Amino acid sequence: MIPVNVIFLYSLIIFCIGLWGALSRRNVFIVLMGIELMLNAVNIAFVGFASSLGNIAGQIIPIFVITVAAGEAAVGLAIVVAIFRNRLSINIDSFNILKW
Amino acid sequence: MSYTEIFFYIFAVLSILFALLTVTRRNAVHAAICLLLTFFFIACNYVLLEAEFLAAVQVLVYAGGVVGLMLYVIMLVRKDEADEVRQSLGQRVIAVFIAILFVLEIAFISLLAYYGNYSGFLSSKMAQIGGNTESIGAVLYTYFLLPFEVVSVLLLAALVGAVVLAKNRIER
Amino acid sequence: MYQAISPYVPVLILILLAVLFGVVTLLIAWLVRPNAPYSEKLSPYECGVEPLQPGKLRMSIRFFVIVLLFLLFDVEAVFMYPWAVMYKPLGWWGFIEMALFVIILFVGYIYAWLKGALEWE
Repeated sequence: MIPVNVIFLYSLIIFCIGLWGALSRRNVFIVLMGIELMLNAVNIAFVGFASSLGNIAGQIIPIFVITVAAGEAAVGLAIVVAIFRNRLSINIDSFNILKW
Repeated sequence: MSYTEIFFYIFAVLSILFALLTVTRRNAVHAAICLLLTFFFIACNYVLLEAEFLAAVQVLVYAGGVVGLMLYVIMLVRKDEADEVRQSLGQRVIAVFIAILFVLEIAFISLLAYYGNYSGFLSSKMAQIGGNTESIGAVLYTYFLLPFEVVSVLLLAALVGAVVLAKNRIER
Repeated sequence: MYQAISPYVPVLILILLAVLFGVVTLLIAWLVRPNAPYSEKLSPYECGVEPLQPGKLRMSIRFFVIVLLFLLFDVEAVFMYPWAVMYKPLGWWGFIEMALFVIILFVGYIYAWLKGALEWE
């Protein structure tokens, strides 16, 4: 049996790698990938608690998280394509249209 | 140490390695492939944590859908000069600082949980219903009824939003 | 001492064999083959004819909406699977739940259809 704090640490490391990627990278795709990694890390934590506490609810919330992640990827990439058409750039610095 | 634990640690190290590669690659296509492998190794760990249905969903939706869509869009907006610009924002130091702060915070909570009176193993209650998918089905459509129906509205909103964003531009 | 093995051990062995098959085949070919490259041999293989355009071509935007719709209906199918497995115990109530779910998503499908997202302009 894997101790729950090891699973939690594992989830934490993945989350922080995703956070780092989302905050520091300039390429908008890698920012989106960082967000996906963070959502996955949350799923790992849920599954770890589900397995150690013996509660199946911890395996159901990740399904909802995955749904949200899929919707986020779909709409996010549609926005990226729309902005790319207007600005011809995938650099996150140029996504400042709402700034005044 | 049991075989389950050994394989858990192997897959954990591999997924962390590929997650690191994902956020450090210059080429977005390479990053997407590393992300695919990260998701695959996380799915392996789901199997070891007795969440077989989630492992299948992980491979199906993330590896099959999300990474596929990302790779497609990367090829759609491919720009050759994109490889040449500086890769990171000016906030790399702040990003590392925030990430490390997060590690410390949650590691502290994790330590508290470790020294607290935590005990628990996988209960056999789930096994009585049947397999993993059966027990998920039994709980998902009874206790999680409202979130389940709300999900359909979420998917509808995502669908309408994506179609509006993707279609209007073509008509223009 | 007898120890029960996990049912996933065969899966692991299968994956290992599949990876080894590819690696060992390439390794033996690399050891055995003669190495005599020239420029035409090194050019990308495109069904035997000369390469028509560079490999880094841009994909058409027309696939984009299709991929988006695939992703969203992929998630819908995920929710159908545990329901289908538990169809009998959930009974009519489960059927009504899933019917509501599918109807709401069907509205989105009709919207995408009317918007022309499924057309191949």
